[in-house]
Amino acid sequence: MANVSVAAEWQLLYNRYYRKPELYRMGWLHVDLSRNRVACAPFGGPIAVIRDDSKIVQLHSESALRKLRIFNSAGVLLSETVWKNPGGRLVAMSWTDDQTLACVVQDGTVYRYNVYAKLLEPNISMGKECFEQNVVDCVFWGNGLVCITESNQLFCISDFKNPKSSQLADTGIEEPPHCMAVIEPQYTMSGNVEVLLGVGEAYVLAVEEDGVQQLGFEVLRGPLQKMAVSCDGQWLASFTHDGRLLVLTSDMRQVIMEQECESALPPEQLSWCGMDSVLLYWDDMLLMMGPIGDPVRYFYDEPIVLIPECDGVRILSNSSMEFLQRVPDSTESIFKIGSTSPAALLYDALDHFDRRSAKADENLRLIGLSLPEAVEACIDAAGHEFDILRQRTLLRAASYGQAFCSNFQRDRIQEMSKILRVLNAVRNHEIGIPLSIQQYKLLTPSVLISRLINAHQHLLALRISEYLGMNQEVVIMHWTCSKITASLAIPDAVLLEILLDKLKLCKGISYAAVAAHADKSGRRKLAAMLVEHEPRSSKQVPLLLSIGEEDIALIKATECGDTDLVYLVLFHIWQKRQPLEFFGMIQARTLARDLFIVYARCYKQEFLKDYFLSTGQLQEVAFLLWKESWDLGQNPMASKGSPLLGPRIKLIEKVQNLFSETKEHTFESKAAEEHSKLLRMQHELEVSTKQAIFVDSSISDTIRTCIVLGNHRAAMKVKTEFKVSEKRWYWLKVFALSTIRDWDALEKFSREKRPPIGFRPFVEACIEADEKGEALKYIPKLTDPRERAESYARIGMAKEAADAASQAKDGELLGRLKSTFSQNAAASSIFDTLRSSFQGVS
Amino acid sequence: MAQIPNLDNAPLNLTALREQSQKELINILKNIRGKKCLVIDPKLGGSLSSIIQTSLLKEHGVELRYLSADPIQTDLAKVVYLVRSQLNLMKFISSHVHNDLSKGLQREYYVYFVPRRAVGCEKILEEEKVHHLLTVGEYPLYILPLDEDVLSFELDLAYKEYQVDGDTSSLWHIAKAIHKLESSFGVIPNVRAKGKASVRVADILNHMQAEEPVNSPEMVVPEINTLILLDREVDMVTPMCSQLTYEGLLDEFLHINNGAVELEASIMGVQQEGKKIKVPLNSSDKLFKEIRDLNFEVVVQILRQKATSMKQDYTEMTTTSQSVSELKDFVKKLNSLPEMTRHINLAQHLSTFTSKPSFLGKLDMEHTIIEAQSYDICFEYIEEMIHKQESLINVLRLLVLFSITNSGLPKKHFDYLRRELLHSYGFEHMGTLNNLEKAGLFRKQETKSNWLTVKRALQLVVEDTDTAIPNDIAYVFSGYAPLSIRLVQHAVRSGWRPIEEILKLLPGPHSDTKRGRFSSTSSFDNLYGSSASGDKVADGRRSLVLVVFIGGVTFAEISALRFLSAQEGMAYDLIIGTTKIISGNTLTETFVEKLG
Repeated sequence: MANVSVAAEWQLLYNRYYRKPELYRMGWLHVDLSRNRVACAPFGGPIAVIRDDSKIVQLHSESALRKLRIFNSAGVLLSETVWKNPGGRLVAMSWTDDQTLACVVQDGTVYRYNVYAKLLEPNISMGKECFEQNVVDCVFWGNGLVCITESNQLFCISDFKNPKSSQLADTGIEEPPHCMAVIEPQYTMSGNVEVLLGVGEAYVLAVEEDGVQQLGFEVLRGPLQKMAVSCDGQWLASFTHDGRLLVLTSDMRQVIMEQECESALPPEQLSWCGMDSVLLYWDDMLLMMGPIGDPVRYFYDEPIVLIPECDGVRILSNSSMEFLQRVPDSTESIFKIGSTSPAALLYDALDHFDRRSAKADENLRLIGLSLPEAVEACIDAAGHEFDILRQRTLLRAASYGQAFCSNFQRDRIQEMSKILRVLNAVRNHEIGIPLSIQQYKLLTPSVLISRLINAHQHLLALRISEYLGMNQEVVIMHWTCSKITASLAIPDAVLLEILLDKLKLCKGISYAAVAAHADKSGRRKLAAMLVEHEPRSSKQVPLLLSIGEEDIALIKATECGDTDLVYLVLFHIWQKRQPLEFFGMIQARTLARDLFIVYARCYKQEFLKDYFLSTGQLQEVAFLLWKESWDLGQNPMASKGSPLLGPRIKLIEKVQNLFSETKEHTFESKAAEEHSKLLRMQHELEVSTKQAIFVDSSISDTIRTCIVLGNHRAAMKVKTEFKVSEKRWYWLKVFALSTIRDWDALEKFSREKRPPIGFRPFVEACIEADEKGEALKYIPKLTDPRERAESYARIGMAKEAADAASQAKDGELLGRLKSTFSQNAAASSIFDTLRSSFQGVS
Repeated sequence: MAQIPNLDNAPLNLTALREQSQKELINILKNIRGKKCLVIDPKLGGSLSSIIQTSLLKEHGVELRYLSADPIQTDLAKVVYLVRSQLNLMKFISSHVHNDLSKGLQREYYVYFVPRRAVGCEKILEEEKVHHLLTVGEYPLYILPLDEDVLSFELDLAYKEYQVDGDTSSLWHIAKAIHKLESSFGVIPNVRAKGKASVRVADILNHMQAEEPVNSPEMVVPEINTLILLDREVDMVTPMCSQLTYEGLLDEFLHINNGAVELEASIMGVQQEGKKIKVPLNSSDKLFKEIRDLNFEVVVQILRQKATSMKQDYTEMTTTSQSVSELKDFVKKLNSLPEMTRHINLAQHLSTFTSKPSFLGKLDMEHTIIEAQSYDICFEYIEEMIHKQESLINVLRLLVLFSITNSGLPKKHFDYLRRELLHSYGFEHMGTLNNLEKAGLFRKQETKSNWLTVKRALQLVVEDTDTAIPNDIAYVFSGYAPLSIRLVQHAVRSGWRPIEEILKLLPGPHSDTKRGRFSSTSSFDNLYGSSASGDKVADGRRSLVLVVFIGGVTFAEISALRFLSAQEGMAYDLIIGTTKIISGNTLTETFVEKLG
């Protein structure tokens, strides 16, 4: 069968098959791993290479200066830089989760590089003690590192995002440990990192921030030479002093497996391969050990580096990159020699079908009801495949089977094809990210995309995010910012066109953020042009301010109608400019000006006065001063006849003058004049009556008060002084007299002369005081019969009311009066007769 | 009955809206652990009472205080301020903090702005050097459902702020509130605006839609079909007239505050000397729902009929033997007895005001002014009111009505009345006069008035109005059809185009725009009654027209709108949005500014 060749490459470890496909032939030239320090990032990340300065190596035709070179997983050079960092020998380097390369040198300085070999500022220091004691070794994990010094002290940085170095508990050992490993913070009970040290005794030291523990003395029979923690932090693989491989739980209480190795010499590298087996590497032999059974041996005639992944190990050598992994179940069921699983039959059926053989049908019949699981297995196996041709064949087998399946989830094939397209794209030699499907799922597409854009693979990132239906904003935003940084030579207008062309691909992208970047990159003019395109004013306006475009910011804020933004601009300008300049800027902008006035009226009145003065709005100043005059009055020291009334009156006189400056405010000026005159008079009245009841009452009230107090001369004086009309005078006096119920005086007043507004005020005052008798004195004197009728009605005299109403010949009036008497049957009948009697007349 | 209205019958899902606001407030309180003193801006307190019960606040460890200049009396270490973003309130907060500091009290302060943080307010707090001591947040309460069909933005000063001060903050708030509605109920495809502020709001609304588009793919047809924006400036006549509907009169005389009136207990038949009680007024009260929009005259008759019929039933019940089902009916009727008593008491109380000759005289005068035929009579009436020193607000209401219908007074009269006002009420009212003049409410005549033309063209004065079986909105003012609602009537029926000539006579520009996905379809050109079948929402409900009043709306106008909505051949439900429910008094009061 054709499938034999596939399984022929597998190795059996006890009952499990392993395969080791080659991912790449390395594209680099003259890189010898044995001469170099190498750091490989997991998830198919980049490889950093630098000549190892702890070894004596022969320099061929190369510079004595060391170069740090960064390659992708296929050995394509991404970047390089000359290593000139002070601080002694490079002790260790490793990639962090966000793909920065952390390099620790002897004095405890951590230099960080991005994938372009650009040094990231600032450098991190492991602290003074490290500086003095010299770092000898380091262990890294995802986002942190632990280092050990010559005096066997441990220091750690638990998160590179917040790089603060802290010292762990004193190990108390004299000799340097044989080996060191860490359990990541996320897998420990305390949530802090736990460092395992293999020392010269039959136990392991577990060091944390606050203490040291001896672990494993129950199960160990001697010191450990090498340790490796599994990727989930559960297991610890170790190599013992007497040449055994020992796998323990990470708390070291339990031995999981124990195997004799052929060498007593500790291996150079010890690594987990997925969760099922452990790899040991000596000079030219790689030994894979499972829980039981004989180990598998691989021989290498060149140095290799083991790169543990979640589902296997990548093996880097001078010439190639391989991936050692357990053969997935689906793949095994299809390709295992002699397999008769449904999936294998289906795969075979496709072969027959392609060769137009009737056996295809026979195979399908053999599969029978297991067809769906066969299809599923083919799809799954395709996903695990690195070989594109084989992916295709497996998917075709799946789709062939699916045609005979009635109830199979149809989009599974499509889904897998999608994933495979993405994987194949990033596995391409040029990109060099050899992710397996499991790694891809663990990494998540969005992280993959951010890694791609970090590697400046914007187009691919954009295509992938588009293809997967993800938001493209991140990609475009990163591209734009990178483009701005990289395009110093391109003129603003040209660059703007280039940027806009891409930015418009993504709706809702923040132009303001791009503009902010442009501004930071020293391209203020470009920033101004970009921010013009930001539709969200709330983002646009602050940015315009920060790039000094105050005028435009003000216009934009005003346009969008958000007064809060206008205030933002307003305060900004206010703070930055001289008052006069500020006044000039807002004078022509209605909204800004009005808002300024509202704010200043509430909180900055003196400044507001300056504004009005400097812009010639004297009447507004007058209003402010007038208001102040009352505040003076409110002051208890100033009120009620005290000498402080003087300043108050002076202030109002000033108000009067200010108003008189403009023709339009003659009325106000006159009012202010009267006001000061009134205050003076009231002041005099208070002095003469010794009663503090006049100041701040109105002219009418002053007259009333005078009359009520019986001071008719004073009332008269106020009347003439302010030219109070006869009409008003009569109303005031009549009501004042009725207030003190001086009916005689009222009658006398009515007789003084014919009242200018008739006798109505007298009638009303009496009725309101509930004095019918008094009212009757004046009702007959009312000239209008309607008024007479209503007045009679109000004091309940139906007959008289009816008579008067009939004189007026007003039917509507009669009706209304009748309704007021509705409770009174007799009275209402009077109205009815009267009404009908002259209905004919009107 | 609770003061929080029942919204289950609302044409929009307002309950969800209210619950959202409720939840947001509770979350704010929850996030501040332990007991705390909640200091509420008094005006906001009123609004909150129609969202959340005080008891619920207490459950979250709240001790309630109202914000004033006086220092806070509490032992609690956490003080939470809940304030509208008004500049003048900031001084209170900073003085409280300073007061605590001077006493050596250490407290945690939180300031939550409603509906959002304001740069101006925070600037004051900064200048007072207290900002760093405060934790600042916001409580985005933009919309308050007052009833099944009424939404309030709770911006009581909106009209004065933009007419007098030129401060357009409220316009942004209104647009934001509508935008929020749109995010729940879909982009409103038709927007008709009249008046400067309205057109501006429509503008800002479009701006917002461009900035932060409302995405509603699952919604086939937006629930609100049309938005009508009406600037109070367009019709200042109506609010100045005395409202004659039941609810309107209640507001005029007893002042309805956040859906309740407060009055002497004795009026409601509860014998407790001097004690005040709150009577809630909203659609949850079935009887009130039935009579609130009717002319008060009719309400009195209806109540009398109901009382009589009940009395009759009762006599029958005691004298003749009844079947069980009849008994059941009777008991059912009895259930409505508390509601009956409540409204009979209220109506009784109201009629003590309405029967006063002064009230009748004022009504007469309002109609005379609106008729605009007898200038001198009106002038003398107002002059006399001033001479008699009647309540300033009443005088100003008539004065504004008079000035607007005449498009200002001749300079001689203008100056004369202003002088008489200052003489009678004091020079401190110069500020009030200045405000009214700036807002164009009481001013010098510059052009000829076109009120007569408008009145005639829109048939604002309707003779022979039958208040019992009304056939026109004029019943709400016994003969005057409110201008604002007439405009809405036209806008709903046929859009602005047919009345464009008249619109030009009224203040401010007008606009008519189409938005969203429907902008291209022409079937939405006109809102032709039932013929436009496409306007129906899927489940058979009528689609909605949202009428927003910028500067406030009166109860009488709301009644008129409900009357329109209930008319046969009307294809839409109307729902009302307003900056605040106003009456002539409350609106006029916002302009009163004593210098002293």
